[in-house]
Amino acid sequence: MYALCDVSAMYASCEKVFDPSIRKKPVVVLTNNDGCICATCPVARKMGIGKSFVPYFTVKDELAAMGVVIRSSNYELYADLSQRLMDTCARFAPDHHVYSIDECFLYFGSYIPDAGWQAHAKTIRRTVWKEVRLPIGVGIGPTPTLAKAANHASKRIEGFNGVAVIDNNAVRRRVLKQMAVVDIWGIGRRLARRLNEMGIETAWQLAESKPALMRKHFSVLVESTVYELNGITKLSWDDVRSPKQQIYSTRSFGERVTDKSILRQALLSHVTIAASKLRRQQGLVKTIQVFVSNSPHDRDSFYRKSVTHQFLTPTSDTSVIANTVSGLVENLYRQGVHFYKCGVGLIELVDAAQYQADLFSLSTDNALLMQCMDSINARYGRNTVHIAGQGTTPQYTMKREFLSPQYTTRLEGLPRILCD
Amino acid sequence: MLRFIPLKVQAGIAGFESPAAEYTQLSLTLDQILIDHPSATYLGIVEGESMTGVGIFPHDILVVSRAETAVSGDVIVATLNGNFVCKIADTKNMRLLSSAKGFNTYQLNDGDEFIVEGVVTRSIRMHRPFKRGLV
Repeated sequence: MYALCDVSAMYASCEKVFDPSIRKKPVVVLTNNDGCICATCPVARKMGIGKSFVPYFTVKDELAAMGVVIRSSNYELYADLSQRLMDTCARFAPDHHVYSIDECFLYFGSYIPDAGWQAHAKTIRRTVWKEVRLPIGVGIGPTPTLAKAANHASKRIEGFNGVAVIDNNAVRRRVLKQMAVVDIWGIGRRLARRLNEMGIETAWQLAESKPALMRKHFSVLVESTVYELNGITKLSWDDVRSPKQQIYSTRSFGERVTDKSILRQALLSHVTIAASKLRRQQGLVKTIQVFVSNSPHDRDSFYRKSVTHQFLTPTSDTSVIANTVSGLVENLYRQGVHFYKCGVGLIELVDAAQYQADLFSLSTDNALLMQCMDSINARYGRNTVHIAGQGTTPQYTMKREFLSPQYTTRLEGLPRILCD
Repeated sequence: MLRFIPLKVQAGIAGFESPAAEYTQLSLTLDQILIDHPSATYLGIVEGESMTGVGIFPHDILVVSRAETAVSGDVIVATLNGNFVCKIADTKNMRLLSSAKGFNTYQLNDGDEFIVEGVVTRSIRMHRPFKRGLV
């Protein structure tokens, strides 16, 4: 069995974790440079504020009149909470795969929980809420595609309340019948339209179609999806690109790693994978996350570390990213730790076609200088050192006017607790 | 007057590494001492004097674990009507107790927005403030 856990309105939910004064208020989060709305909390959604990428300035007055709380993207906070989310979910299964900043797959193999799947899913959800304070949906099914479908059901289909388990044909039928093909994992909008033209509207109809025919009309991927919807595992998670705005590459090691250079090699291979995916979708990365950990199941005390790094100029050059990650290894490695897992996440992306180069944009050729500067800045705060050409008004630091404190990663950001 | 017994410290047979050497990499970190559940532990800074009776003073740092379940008598951090507060839990009577004279007990009502955020498992006494003048 597989499970998919994902956070509802991740960025907006993260903003609520350390600011109890906005827990019940409508909250929206803006993209980089405060351009568009990228996340809307359930309270705001109920008030009719859409989820789509609406430019902020077009709705600014309207939102102010409704008393909506506005926040800039606080990637440092989201990456830290994401890491905690992943660690917490990973405790519940033998194998674990980070799919994006706010969702992960769990693979149970032959493991069957004593209390049953429904109870196990509820425990995962309750534990994440208790320990991380993030609301998640949990879907469990016999294949990744069905786990994803169950997750969809947990949030969108009435009666599931955040937890759905597809472990028999009746539930599978019920869920797939209420699900449009476009909502199936790996079926994009364009593919869905073509399926609709063939008269296939629901996930159930796709499940009932002939795999060979789907292969003939479309691709092996669609054929695999049909098998998956019928409970036969065909896909590995790397086959299907995340539709979300992040790219993750992560693996656990076959054997525990204690050597720094091996850890570095592993991280650099993740860079290669992630960067090639990035170029494939014509993207540039602005923020990456690099993380390492030992196994929570080992006897040693648990060790994990994660750093985020912001590029001054978005890049898709493997060597530029690799240089940076290579420098970060010094911060991540610790002698004596038996590393079990590491990974790289490209967590903030921009479209290469739409990216407007800054007049003062740093040349990516000078990768070494950038790395040096960034590691100084990472340690002593952004803009501690910067090139003179940048001037005194920071031209290309992100505009984050509504930024919340970095509650978990900076001393200045620690939440205040009243004793009065 | 203290008497010293001179002892020669020697690390086994010459040419062999000291048997103590293998311990050198197990350096102790404050994280190990202060944090039981890394993924569920958060830090916060104290404001106010209602908890001085249990040794929690203004500007001290609280180590808060969400992995623990609060029982009566625990020092907890909770959300109370839009603020994080630090109090002693009295779960039986649904009250929040202070630990210093002159501070009232808070009786929880149905109308209160209240949720336990975590248990204060450690607190760090700031005998001197941060040099950089953080708080």
